[in-house]
Amino acid sequence: MSSIHLRLLLVATLVLAGFIGVTGWALENAFREASKTALQEKLQSHVYALLAAADVDAEGKMRLPEHLPEPRFSRPDSGLYAFVTTPDGNLFWRSRSALGLEIADAPSVAPGQTRFQRSNAMFLFSHGVEWEDDSGANQAFTFNVAEQVQSFDRQLGRFRLSLWSWLAALAAALLLVQALVLRWGLRPLRQVEMDLKAIQDGQAQRLQNVYPRELQGLTSSLNALMEHAKAVQERYRNRLDDLVHSLKTPLAYLAALLQDPDTSDDQLRAKTMEQLQRMDHIVQHQLRRAAVAARTTLVNPVAVTAVTERLLTALEKIYAHRELAVIRSLNAAAVFHGDEADLMEVLGNLLENAFKYAKTEVRVSVDIEEGLLIIIEDDGAGISPEQWETVLQRGRRADETVSGQGIGLAVVKEIITLYGGVLEAMKAESGGLRLRLHFPHEDPMRIPNT
Amino acid sequence: MRLLLIEDEVPLLEQLAGQLERKGYAVERAANGTDGLYLGQELPVDLAIVDLGLPDISGMDVIRTLRKGDHAFPILILTARGRWQEKVEGLEAGADDYLVKPFQFEELLARLNALLRRSGGWSTPVLRFHGVSLNTASQQLVVEGNTVALTAYEYRVLEYLMLHAGEVISKTVLTEHIYEQDYDRDSNVLEVLLSRLRRKLDPENRIKPIETLRGRGYRFCLKKAGG
Repeated sequence: MSSIHLRLLLVATLVLAGFIGVTGWALENAFREASKTALQEKLQSHVYALLAAADVDAEGKMRLPEHLPEPRFSRPDSGLYAFVTTPDGNLFWRSRSALGLEIADAPSVAPGQTRFQRSNAMFLFSHGVEWEDDSGANQAFTFNVAEQVQSFDRQLGRFRLSLWSWLAALAAALLLVQALVLRWGLRPLRQVEMDLKAIQDGQAQRLQNVYPRELQGLTSSLNALMEHAKAVQERYRNRLDDLVHSLKTPLAYLAALLQDPDTSDDQLRAKTMEQLQRMDHIVQHQLRRAAVAARTTLVNPVAVTAVTERLLTALEKIYAHRELAVIRSLNAAAVFHGDEADLMEVLGNLLENAFKYAKTEVRVSVDIEEGLLIIIEDDGAGISPEQWETVLQRGRRADETVSGQGIGLAVVKEIITLYGGVLEAMKAESGGLRLRLHFPHEDPMRIPNT
Repeated sequence: MRLLLIEDEVPLLEQLAGQLERKGYAVERAANGTDGLYLGQELPVDLAIVDLGLPDISGMDVIRTLRKGDHAFPILILTARGRWQEKVEGLEAGADDYLVKPFQFEELLARLNALLRRSGGWSTPVLRFHGVSLNTASQQLVVEGNTVALTAYEYRVLEYLMLHAGEVISKTVLTEHIYEQDYDRDSNVLEVLLSRLRRKLDPENRIKPIETLRGRGYRFCLKKAGG
């Protein structure tokens, strides 16, 4: 059952079959009952006519005429029969039509009672009466009128045929409509599929059609995902380009150095080392820049406090010998809309810097203020806010004597920019550096640009 | 000091191990996680250097397994990626510090020394005792203001005893932490080393910095002078 179309069609067919079956059954039953009631009433009226025709003979006994107003009683084997029986089971009178009729177990009904039954291919209506003759003696009779079932069954058969053929036609029509509705209703999905195929084939860049509201979430997410993938690919390509170009300079320099017969061994060693470091720097820088996910779509918000705590625990371990006081003010509700690894990269580098330069304490505050606000403060005299800007701009070490990663800070700047954040450096009250990092509220569906 | 170096790139492993040995460390080499884990569990290691990108067992798992087995020696991780997520995971697994590849050998040495000192309770690179101080960065011994030259093995023994000052160190333990696995333990080289060290530390035989406890081992018994 992998097709929605098949599923819906199957369910609709089952429901329709059930509905039509029950309807047909109910209608047939109702018709049968109504026909039977009508027949009963007809037979009853015949009995009343018979009673009305009953007369008294010369001896004062009941007598029934040879001919009755209903012609079918007079025509032999007409299908409509009348007969009168006595309580002892003897036949008292029969209509001409019933002359050849086998009347077994002539029914006997108490006076005033009636009975309607189906027996031996007949519908039989019996009515008990008490006849008082002239001498005042009471004689009980049962007036019976019977009609053959054939005509009733034929009528019912005709009705049934007509009923079920109409219902079948209706079912077929409904199924057809259903199939058409499904086709029409599911057409947008097929459209998406075709559009995706077009994208795969390189004929389109994104899902451009107008899709129904129910699908817009899906299609816009798909678009965002594709654009993100494209942006990442683009960024990788650019970084690779940058990487290749920036590696060429030290390589050219080294080649020149090696070919120069005047280069002394010591010089060669020193210069090679210098260029190797430069190349390593370049590789690290570009790779880390390329690794930035800058993902804001389809990500769960990251709890900033948890990430900060993990980083602080790690840094406290590395910098245990510094015996720094770490003063935290962390709002557990603060979240970052983006990739956790990116946030870790930013905070890890900024915090490590603070740990490196702090004299006695590091202050970290995470809060919600029209977005996410993170403040990192140290009390060291590491770098001034002005120098900080330079460090960020160039991705260089401000102070070569402190083992640091200028690369890290350049990546930090890149990530912050990609997420639309702002990093400001200022002098802290303690004389150290105060970093204010702010990520404003933003549309979570925003597509990051390179 | 006996180091365990787990690094799958054999040229780098050999290069580093050689350099570390020249700096006076006994180095156990492992080119994969399985061997590294075995050596870490079986040998009295003072510090392990673990590369995170190992082919069989990940460096992270090696660290976790060692820590689960109550091996408390400091662990320094080497990582090629240098992303914070990986660093944090490594430190959470039980490592004490990290170094991003490629690195300068001096940087590695500084981190090693810092970790070893920290595990011995020192926060500065110079181990200061009354009258005697040992600079672990420059490997220089200063006695009463005069610099004294030490051989590599003399330095190894003295550093180990100083970092475990006040503790009784048996001859076996000292041997295990000073020499590589395949050292011939029956020789009396250690006694010769110790008597040479005593003469260098205490030429006039006044302060008696290293005690011999018969049948039990040796003890560095000078008092720490701050630091």
